[in-house]
Amino acid sequence: MPAPPAFDLFNLPDADVVALAQQGRDSAFRELIRRYERPVFSLIYRMVRDRELAEDLAQDTFIKVLNHIDRYRPEFKLSSWLFKIANNVAIDHLRRRQLDTISIDGSPHAQTQDAIEATSFDVVGQQESALDEMEARELGGAIERAIATLRPEYRSCIMLRHVEGRSYEEIAATLDLPLGTVKTYIHRARHELRKELEHLRDD
Amino acid sequence: MNHRHLLPDEIDLLLDDEVGFGVAPLKAHIRDCDHCRAKVDEARFVVDALEDVPHFVPSLRFSDRVMAQVPVFVPWHVTARDTVAKWLPQSRSARFAVGALATSAASIVTVLLLWIATQTDVVALATGVAGDQVRGLVYDAGSQVLAAVFGEQFFAVIQRTGTFGIAAALLGLVAAAGGSIAGLRALAAASSRRRG
Repeated sequence: MPAPPAFDLFNLPDADVVALAQQGRDSAFRELIRRYERPVFSLIYRMVRDRELAEDLAQDTFIKVLNHIDRYRPEFKLSSWLFKIANNVAIDHLRRRQLDTISIDGSPHAQTQDAIEATSFDVVGQQESALDEMEARELGGAIERAIATLRPEYRSCIMLRHVEGRSYEEIAATLDLPLGTVKTYIHRARHELRKELEHLRDD
Repeated sequence: MNHRHLLPDEIDLLLDDEVGFGVAPLKAHIRDCDHCRAKVDEARFVVDALEDVPHFVPSLRFSDRVMAQVPVFVPWHVTARDTVAKWLPQSRSARFAVGALATSAASIVTVLLLWIATQTDVVALATGVAGDQVRGLVYDAGSQVLAAVFGEQFFAVIQRTGTFGIAAALLGLVAAAGGSIAGLRALAAASSRRRG
């Protein structure tokens, strides 16, 4: 199959673009990045809530996937593979930094007021960023704040379900979780978000 | 009217727009039950808000930064195919002519090879003749070298010992030449070390 011109890649399914990337077509690699940079970056950004760090982790995700593109098996969705790696790098980072237990109100393990303040997640106090701009808008801001309060496991499940529109089965395969666990996480995440956003509905 | 309120799992089924046969009674229930309808609306509000959450955009140089760390490797078969494609003519008729020519050539070569493979006695004879020719050439060349190096009289003595003697003399000559070269290199190296 001769390499099609770059503009033709737009209309090709993922599997065909991957096949071209496996043949060493630079434009195919760039097309895969173009297709998934926003979803992957958004997922990671909402997990780590730091733009620069999210870019680094998203970059790591793409480098890992594209450097092993020859191992891609077409029976799986490329997006699922990307999200799996993205979630893993974000979760690994959070674990390394021990941020996984930090909520907007501080770590539940914090014993003193100082410890609570030190571990609290001051969303409003972040530097100016796209996320802050979002939070300036009432519902958009509230939902972003509410997502930030979720446990990382719930966060990735709910983002894949409602932002990326993935089925429960796909999420289970992507995150290597049992289907029942995914359903439970999404149910709990919705419940927590409902509580967080209650005041907006009442207004 | 069913007075049992919806369970959390059943509310999830409605939120996920499931279409199984068990969903119709749940939908019928929320039409009649204000309490459950309010619960579903409340949950739907969250889901709608989540579905409106936008994607964030990484920096403009993101793609370049990724590609800087992804070595693009072109497999050998793709390179070979591209090279062939480069030499092929563009027009359809010319490609057809080249294809026909290549097929004819391949067929002739294949038939020729098959014929040779079936003629074992011819192959054996040809191999034997070629072997004799090569052996004769090597023997003549070796004899000339030895005669030039050791002189005709000494060579006549060596020749009397047969092929083994000539081979041994040649090997000795090669070993002596190799030793001399190595010795000269060692001397040159020692000399340059002293100068340095």
